[in-house]
Amino acid sequence: MDNYQSNRMKEASYGHSIIPPCQAACPLHMEIGEYVDLVAQGKVMEALQVIRDGNPFPSICAYVCTHPCEDACRRSQVDEPIAIRALKRFAVEFGGDRMIELEAETTQSEKVAVVGSGPAGLACAYYLRKLGYPVTIFEAYSEPGGMLRVGIPQYRLPREVVDTEVQRLTHMGVEIKTNTRVVSLDLLFDMGYKAIFITVGAHQSLRMGIEGEDSPGVIDGATFLREVNLGLKPSLGERVGVVGGGNVAIDAARAAVRLGAHKVSILYRRSREEMPASPTEIEQALEEGIETMFLVAPIRVKRENGHLNVTCVRMELGEPDADGRRRPIPIKGSEFNTEFDTLITAIGQAPHLSEDFRLRIGRGSTIQVDPITLTTNRAGVFAGGDAVTGPATVTQALASGRQAAFRIDDYLQHRYPLADTGEKKSSLGELSPKTIEMIRKLERLEPPLLPPEARVNEFTTVELIYDWQSAVNEARRCLRCGMGAEILFQDKCATCLTCLRVCPYHVPYIDDAGSIQIPAEQCQACGICVAECPAEAIVLRKPYDRRHIDEELEHALKSAAESKSKPLIIGFCCQYGLFGTGALASLWREGKAGIWIVPILCVAKLEEVHILRAFEMGAEGVFIAGCGEQCSRENTAFWVLQRVEKVRKVLAQIGLEPQRLQTFDPRFNRGRIAEADAAEALDNFTEQIGGLYLNSIIKQEVRT
Amino acid sequence: MIVAEQKPVEQIRQVIAPYERVLLLGCGTCVTVCGAGGEHEVSFLHSALQVAQARSGDGIHKFLEYTVKRQCDFEFLDLLTDKVKEVDAILSLGCGIGVQVIAERFPDIPVLPGVNTSFMGMAKEWGVWDERCAACGDCRLADTAGICPITRCTKGILNGPCAGTKNGKCEANKDMDCAWILIYKRLERLQQLEKMRRYYPPRNFRVIPRPRRIVKKADIKLGENNG
Repeated sequence: MDNYQSNRMKEASYGHSIIPPCQAACPLHMEIGEYVDLVAQGKVMEALQVIRDGNPFPSICAYVCTHPCEDACRRSQVDEPIAIRALKRFAVEFGGDRMIELEAETTQSEKVAVVGSGPAGLACAYYLRKLGYPVTIFEAYSEPGGMLRVGIPQYRLPREVVDTEVQRLTHMGVEIKTNTRVVSLDLLFDMGYKAIFITVGAHQSLRMGIEGEDSPGVIDGATFLREVNLGLKPSLGERVGVVGGGNVAIDAARAAVRLGAHKVSILYRRSREEMPASPTEIEQALEEGIETMFLVAPIRVKRENGHLNVTCVRMELGEPDADGRRRPIPIKGSEFNTEFDTLITAIGQAPHLSEDFRLRIGRGSTIQVDPITLTTNRAGVFAGGDAVTGPATVTQALASGRQAAFRIDDYLQHRYPLADTGEKKSSLGELSPKTIEMIRKLERLEPPLLPPEARVNEFTTVELIYDWQSAVNEARRCLRCGMGAEILFQDKCATCLTCLRVCPYHVPYIDDAGSIQIPAEQCQACGICVAECPAEAIVLRKPYDRRHIDEELEHALKSAAESKSKPLIIGFCCQYGLFGTGALASLWREGKAGIWIVPILCVAKLEEVHILRAFEMGAEGVFIAGCGEQCSRENTAFWVLQRVEKVRKVLAQIGLEPQRLQTFDPRFNRGRIAEADAAEALDNFTEQIGGLYLNSIIKQEVRT
Repeated sequence: MIVAEQKPVEQIRQVIAPYERVLLLGCGTCVTVCGAGGEHEVSFLHSALQVAQARSGDGIHKFLEYTVKRQCDFEFLDLLTDKVKEVDAILSLGCGIGVQVIAERFPDIPVLPGVNTSFMGMAKEWGVWDERCAACGDCRLADTAGICPITRCTKGILNGPCAGTKNGKCEANKDMDCAWILIYKRLERLQQLEKMRRYYPPRNFRVIPRPRRIVKKADIKLGENNG
């Protein structure tokens, strides 16, 4: 007779299908929840692997991503979102991204040309190369990288990072031709390229259309940043004005400070709330002493005695316009004059395309493409990145490049493209107020920044990296949206209401039909109900399902069986944080060979049967160690101790001393075991178990 | 709901000792709800028995586990027809009813109780169960404000409280509420205190013959002029 019931549980699918909001918001749809969880466990290399699977250039995103994932993060309903980008940076730096070398084999004969070496072009080349196509990138400037190189200042994205990624691509076999401006697509086809990806970016600054705009001393933001980024040091004078409120304006202002300008002012025609630049960038700019003039627009520039006399007008905000921001309206008679040595205009950029490309151009000089296939009006010509969307983010460009690579593959393989718009939606709604109330509030930990005094003189990176402890603790704040418990076997549910009573977050409820529901959008995946359900009807999805513990335990027992050291002690240790599988486990590594650690993704998920299984397989002692420090979950200690008591009772009934089962965690023992004393406590426990083991051997000898 | 409690492991080991292959049979209804014999407890007992067997070095049992929806119905037990052929005994984690239904359904195989059937009651909170009904067959709750003196009064008296009540608690256990004080307070709240003034004659225990049977279906004999 086979155990039909347990088979059913083994065979059920434990994959999860709910897309968390962070993943849905990411243009690349990266498995954010997964890598954040791995960082929380201190598994940085595994985290990097997950990151690399979803992102061709994680090191670049780690510096400059505008992290729409953080805006979507549901933790912001509780306190503040998870610092996802900074955690990625941590994983990239500590996981050894620099060391990773990629290889690619040429398996296809069709050559593909990529025009432009910005993020979209590089990503497209990366994926095409992985698909086995020979790829050539044509770059007009002297260095590859597009906006990564000429648009983003070094203090935000160090050049070495771009260099490393470009080198990796070259190593994969991508050919990069710099200083090569493509003038005709026909020529490329004549050269034997079967498909072309146009990703020339949006490098042309928009003109303000005011009198005196072409005076010496007025420079556009894109050109200014390009010159600075390519190593020139434009002379700016003392006073610099920057017109605009976007990231380019902020970048230009901060670059000006670093070039030695004494007074840098940003002139923006709306107020701070409407500024499209990222709030952290604005904050950092203000810290560096940059002045802001809101509701001000220049209307006339006049060069006098080597200075610029700029006439400005004050604005007021009227009705919201098409994009939802309030339209600025000039206030009559509010004109005033101000003086600058240099005026940088950064009010927007557009692509600049050679007419010889014969591509259909749409709104804002962008290339018109089919949003699904990225095809243009010319056969075999695809386009993406800023050249199609207008100025957008690096991550959007990477996503566009990836999409282009797959669609070019479809085209070259004569496959009908899948109607995948690349959009993903999260079905998770808002957290309910009573759940929010029960979620422990934990302060968001930010990576350290270089102090403003140190920043303004040079172009070194402003943001530093987390230390290990902060990164792990920050990652532990994740709510694991969509990974929650689920009544998988509704037919088994006895509606006993255990889940409803044990849930620390008030998530399960009784529906109108009298059935229990565990709404996925509220569940925090703590696993308490799963371990307590008397009908075993509830499961957690991967990687939290109980089979994970079974596997880890069997693995430890197997290794233990091969080892001769006695007595055998099994330690179930929390995988999160740095105590259980960290500090405590390292004590064991220092020579206490009889101890085997079973990592658990929160000890609240540990069930009685796991503990009993350890004893069954010959463990003389078992200990349970939580994460030891600030736990982000509720009631874990209570439930661990409940289960410990239940097992101890049974141990006593079958003639085993209850003290063979111990817990090591400050929270479990009301502070009796401080973390620092863990070594001593573990020593005592080992000694005690050694004594019990000896006793049992003697008893056995006597009996025989 | 029926509330039960799992027997201590050493007792269970004693009763299963003569049998090599034992089916640990859970029940998916009352004993699941009270955490005594559902699928979770079956697997817990299974592990505990395995540990006991492994650690003591005696016992060569082979355990199989299964949980049926409800042990007190023949039809659910039909699912076990093939399975029982492979075992020497069934350890039922169902209530006393389940054990007997199994015995009746499978006359050739020993069936052993794994739980003590305790009472009919309710979950007061997670992990705490209280008795509420004695199945006396003669319900007087209408007169006692919905609070049963038969189960909740230590003496089970019908005209209380007795002299042993103190500060609303029972003399037998100072943590236990006096049922008759509860009845009094609730009657007062319902403005039915006059019910306290009445005398309730003792129940006639002789009118309840055991075992009880309820026949709901009418006794119809087809073809005998009844249509």
